[in-house]
Amino acid sequence: MIELIDFYADWCGPCQMMKPVLEDFEAKHPEVKVTKVNVDDEEELAERYNVSGIPCLVLLNDGKEVARNVGAISVKKLEKMIGV
Amino acid sequence: MYDIVIIGAGIAGLTAAIYGCRANKKVLVLEGKVYGGQIINTFEIENWPGGYKISGVDLMKKIYGQATDLGAEVEFDEVLKIVDHGDYKEIVCEDEKYQAKTVILATGTDPRKLSEKQAKDAGKRAISYCATCDGALFKNKPVVVVGSGNTAKHEIKYLENIASKVYHIHHDDPIPEDAVAIFVAIGRIPGTDFVRDFVKLDSEGYVVAGEDCKTSRDGVFVAGDCRTKDTRQLVTAAADGAVAAEMAIKYLNK
Ligand SMILES: Cc1cc2nc3c(=O)[nH]c(=O)nc-3n(C[C@H](O)[C@H](O)[C@H](O)COP(=O)(O)OP(=O)(O)OC[C@H]3O[C@@H](n4cnc5c(N)ncnc54)[C@H](O)[C@@H]3O)c2cc1C
Repeated sequence: MIELIDFYADWCGPCQMMKPVLEDFEAKHPEVKVTKVNVDDEEELAERYNVSGIPCLVLLNDGKEVARNVGAISVKKLEKMIGV
Repeated sequence: MYDIVIIGAGIAGLTAAIYGCRANKKVLVLEGKVYGGQIINTFEIENWPGGYKISGVDLMKKIYGQATDLGAEVEFDEVLKIVDHGDYKEIVCEDEKYQAKTVILATGTDPRKLSEKQAKDAGKRAISYCATCDGALFKNKPVVVVGSGNTAKHEIKYLENIASKVYHIHHDDPIPEDAVAIFVAIGRIPGTDFVRDFVKLDSEGYVVAGEDCKTSRDGVFVAGDCRTKDTRQLVTAAADGAVAAEMAIKYLNK
């Protein structure tokens, strides 16, 4: 299963700008499960994934990390990263 | 074929789009990342007239809404190069190509990256260009700020409330071994590498143009922080956007 984790925080401007990008992506690709993780509420999870900058998108294939992107990106670049 | 293609959806580019659309021109804005530009990292802007303490995100959402409402098209695609075909220009992006009678460069600036030596020193440690964005991820951990300007001082002050220790080093000093994250504040560089051979740049890479925003190439204009100028702020970037669009409109109506 392909899963995308979106590490974000409410106070992070670029994370807010990524919201419509991710909504657009989810609408186009229902086959990819998108999970949002607030790094303030889930510090442990953020640490486990070694998140060192946000917005941070981590792509998992059957639970294994296969790619990640730190910083705001366009839908097209996100699609390329995921290969859909 | 567009009348005006604008490269960059920061405040300069989106303001140019507003002016172009109001003159009934067919306008396309090309943006490589997300719209908004550098200011989306700022919580409170104190010097934007009429928007005291507005956040960068809120301000840019409004300006984006205004530009698109007036008819500006926006595509999220990074521009790689521009080719001059005389009466029109071809704008080559990662995914598509576009044609336009005029082009406005509004690509702003990006943070200057660590030197090669320091990047090697940094190894696998976190590198950030924005303490307010990423600082909270290093609660009670030692971090280091690289840089000697005002931005570096701001970053240090901000991080002192979060990190267990904040080292301060200058460009090219060795990076302390126990620092888990490196905050880089060593200035900014214009995003103009892709037009290096297309328009005249100064020695630092800024597009050479006066207050009329005309570049060395006919039909190509520049607006905002990537232009040679003294004051790089939101109002001056917006002002450039208006001037560059007016100049493009004049060129189109000739
Ligand atoms: C931390 C910080 C705080 C600031 N605070 C203030 C303040 O309080 N008040 C104030 O007036 N100013 C402030 N500024 C300055 C202000 O942000 C800038 O003057 C302004 O954003 C410049 O706008 P711009 O449109 O020229 O460029 P930018 O905002 O840099 O926008 C350029 C856009 O072009 C895009 N782009 C670049 N290259 C390409 C390409 N090849 N293809 C497609 N797209 C591309 C970029 O992704 C970006 O979205 C601050 C700046 C920083 C960094």
